[in-house]
Amino acid sequence: MSEPLLQLRDLRVWFPIGDGLFRAKRQLRAVDGIDLQVAPGEALGIVGESGCGKSTLARAILRLVRTSGGQVLWLGRPIEGWSTARVRPLRRDMQIVFQDPLASLDPRMTVGEIVAEPLRVHARELSRAERRERVIDMLARVGLPADVVNRYPHEFSGGQCQRIGIARAMVLRPKLLVCDEPVSALDVSIQAQIVNLLQDLKRDFGMTILFVSHNLAVVRRLCDRVLVLYLGKPMELASTDLLYAQPRHPYTQGLLAAVPVPDPDLQPQRLGGALGGELPSPLAPPSGCVFRTRCAHAVAACAELAPKLQSVGAGHEVACDRWQAIQTFGERR
Amino acid sequence: MNASDAPIALDIDQLSVVFDTPDGPLSAVNDFSLAIRRGECVGVVGESGAGKSQSFLAVMGLLAANARVSGQARLGTEPLIDRPVAELNRFRGVKLSMIFQDPMTSLTPHMTVGEQIAESVIHHLGSSAEAARARALALLEQVQVTDAPRRLDQYPHELSGGMRQRVMIAIALACDPEVLIADEPTTALDVTIQAQILALLATLKRERGMAMALITHDLGVVAGIADRVAVMYAGRVVELGTVHEVLKAPKHPYTAALLASMPRIDDAGTGPLPAIGGQPPNPRRLPPGCAFGPRCAHADALCRSEGPPLMGSAPRAGTRSVACHHPVQGAHESRETS
Repeated sequence: MSEPLLQLRDLRVWFPIGDGLFRAKRQLRAVDGIDLQVAPGEALGIVGESGCGKSTLARAILRLVRTSGGQVLWLGRPIEGWSTARVRPLRRDMQIVFQDPLASLDPRMTVGEIVAEPLRVHARELSRAERRERVIDMLARVGLPADVVNRYPHEFSGGQCQRIGIARAMVLRPKLLVCDEPVSALDVSIQAQIVNLLQDLKRDFGMTILFVSHNLAVVRRLCDRVLVLYLGKPMELASTDLLYAQPRHPYTQGLLAAVPVPDPDLQPQRLGGALGGELPSPLAPPSGCVFRTRCAHAVAACAELAPKLQSVGAGHEVACDRWQAIQTFGERR
Repeated sequence: MNASDAPIALDIDQLSVVFDTPDGPLSAVNDFSLAIRRGECVGVVGESGAGKSQSFLAVMGLLAANARVSGQARLGTEPLIDRPVAELNRFRGVKLSMIFQDPMTSLTPHMTVGEQIAESVIHHLGSSAEAARARALALLEQVQVTDAPRRLDQYPHELSGGMRQRVMIAIALACDPEVLIADEPTTALDVTIQAQILALLATLKRERGMAMALITHDLGVVAGIADRVAVMYAGRVVELGTVHEVLKAPKHPYTAALLASMPRIDDAGTGPLPAIGGQPPNPRRLPPGCAFGPRCAHADALCRSEGPPLMGSAPRAGTRSVACHHPVQGAHESRETS
C-alpha cells in the first residue's frame, strides 16, 4: 500500500448532552474509536443504520465537527488542533457532496456561481476567464451543458442538482471526495446515472472517495472496501468482495439480509431472516459488545468485554470474539 | 389460498385525477383500473410523480380541494368516488384504511399512543373506553410493539420511527379493515426496520385475509410480499401482472430497464449500471405518444405519435397487461448475478 492519504487513529467524536440544570452532562459517543487507513484512489464505503455515526465520522474527517480524541492524519501529518486558517488550504483537497441535492445549493446563486465559488476561495490565482473555462469543463464532465451556468438551482431536477453539487465538489480536483448519501434522495431511475457518474469521475481523476450510505447495493457497486459501523464503533472492515461474499460479523450479516432484492423467488425468504430489534439509545449503549442486544449469537461473555477489530484473513477485520463459532451461519451470496 | 378466486375487495375502474392549478389543468392519474381481491397484495410501483399515491388518495377521498376525479372505485359494492364525506366516513378507517410514509407527522403529537388507537375504536365501533384500551393493547401486541403496556401511555416522540410505523399500522387495523392501503410504509425507515415492517405486513395480510395495496418505488419491496404488481409511469399503469411475471419477465421496456438499472446486493458486478437516460417527464409537458418514448431504446415513429393502451386480458381483474407498442419479447435477459 502506498502512503495512506488519510489515517484515523482511535478517532472519537463525543457530544456532551445537557440533561437540564442539575444533572451531570452525559456524553453521546457518536464515533468511538475508529482506526483506519485510506489509500489514495481508494473508494471506502461507510455503512450502518441511521444513528451509527456514519455522517459524523465523515464530517469529523473534514473537520466539520470537532473531534474529542484520537488523531486524523492527512498525508501523514496530524491535523487536529490546527487553526481554521491553517486547515483552509487543505480544504482544497477535501470536498463533500451532500444528500439533499436542492437544499445543498444556494437558491440565490446561479449554477455558474455555485460551481465557481470553490475556485474563488481556493484558486485565487485564476483569472475570470480561466475560472469560467474550468466551470464549464467540469459541468460538461458531470453531463450538464454550458448554458446551465446562468440558470438557478430550482430550475433543475433532483438528479441534475446532484450533478451540480458533484461539479462544485470536483471543480478543485480534490484528493478526497466525501459523498454523504448522494443518491438516497433521488428517483430509482436517476440513482444509476449518478452512481455511474461517480464511477467515471473516480476513474478519470483518481480521487479517494468516502462513500457514506445506507444503501448497501450501491456501496457494493462503487466501493473497494467497506467499513460497517454500529453505535459509533467499527464492526467489520473488509474489501467489498469479502464483505458481501463472506460477512463475518452478525451485524453485517443482518444488514445484508435486510436489503431487498427484486426477485420474488428469493425475497420472501429473505424477509424472514431480518435482523430483529432496534438500535439502542446511543446515550445508554450496551456494555461489552454494543451489538449484543440484537445478536442471535450473543453469550454472557459478550456483555463483559468490548471486542476490537481483529484480522480474520487478508484484508478482513471483524470486531466479534465469536466470529469463528458463528461462521457456518453466514455463508451468503 | 388461491387469491384469484377470492371476491374483489377494492375495484378501481378508469380512475383519472386532474388538478386545477393556476397554470392550467395538470393530469396526475390517467385511466387507472385495478381490482384487488381479498387476501391479495398488489404492489403499485413507480417513481415520484407517477401517480401512484394520487390514485389511492382519490380512492380514500383525501385529494386536495383542486382535484377533479372521474371514474369509479368500489369497496365491495359501495361506490367511493364523489360520496359525501359523512358517508365516506362510514368506510374510511373502518373497512378501508391507509398508512402513510412518515410515521411522525401522521401521528398526533399531543395524544398518547393508546388514545390514538382507542379513538378509532370508540368512534367507529362505539366501544367503551376500557374496551377500547384493551383493544389498543391487543393491537399493539399484534403489530409486535415491544413492551406494549408501557407504550400505551407514551407519546409518539418517545418512540422510534419503526415503532411509530407499527402504531400507525395498529390504528389502521383497529376496526378490522377489508382493504389496507400502505403508501410507502417503509421508505422513511432503515433497511433493517423496513424488513421487519414488511414481514409484519405479510403476516397480517395472510392472517386477516385483507386486500392490500402496497405503494412503493422499490421493486425489491414488492418482490417480498406482493402477489401482483402494477407498474406506473407518468400517471398511467404501463404493466400489470403477477409478481413473477413482472419481475422475472417484464414486458414493458420501462419495467425491464428499471430492473436492469438497479444495483443489487447479490450482484458482484463492478462495471457501469445500464442506467435509464433522461428523467421522468414533467406532467405539464408530457411528450406526444408514449410518455416513456423519449427514454426508451425501442421507441419508433409509432411510439412518438400514438400512446399505447394497456393491452391484455381483462386488465382490471387482470392477468397480464402491458401498455407498449413493442413489448419486450421472450424471457427477460436478467443480468448475471454472482
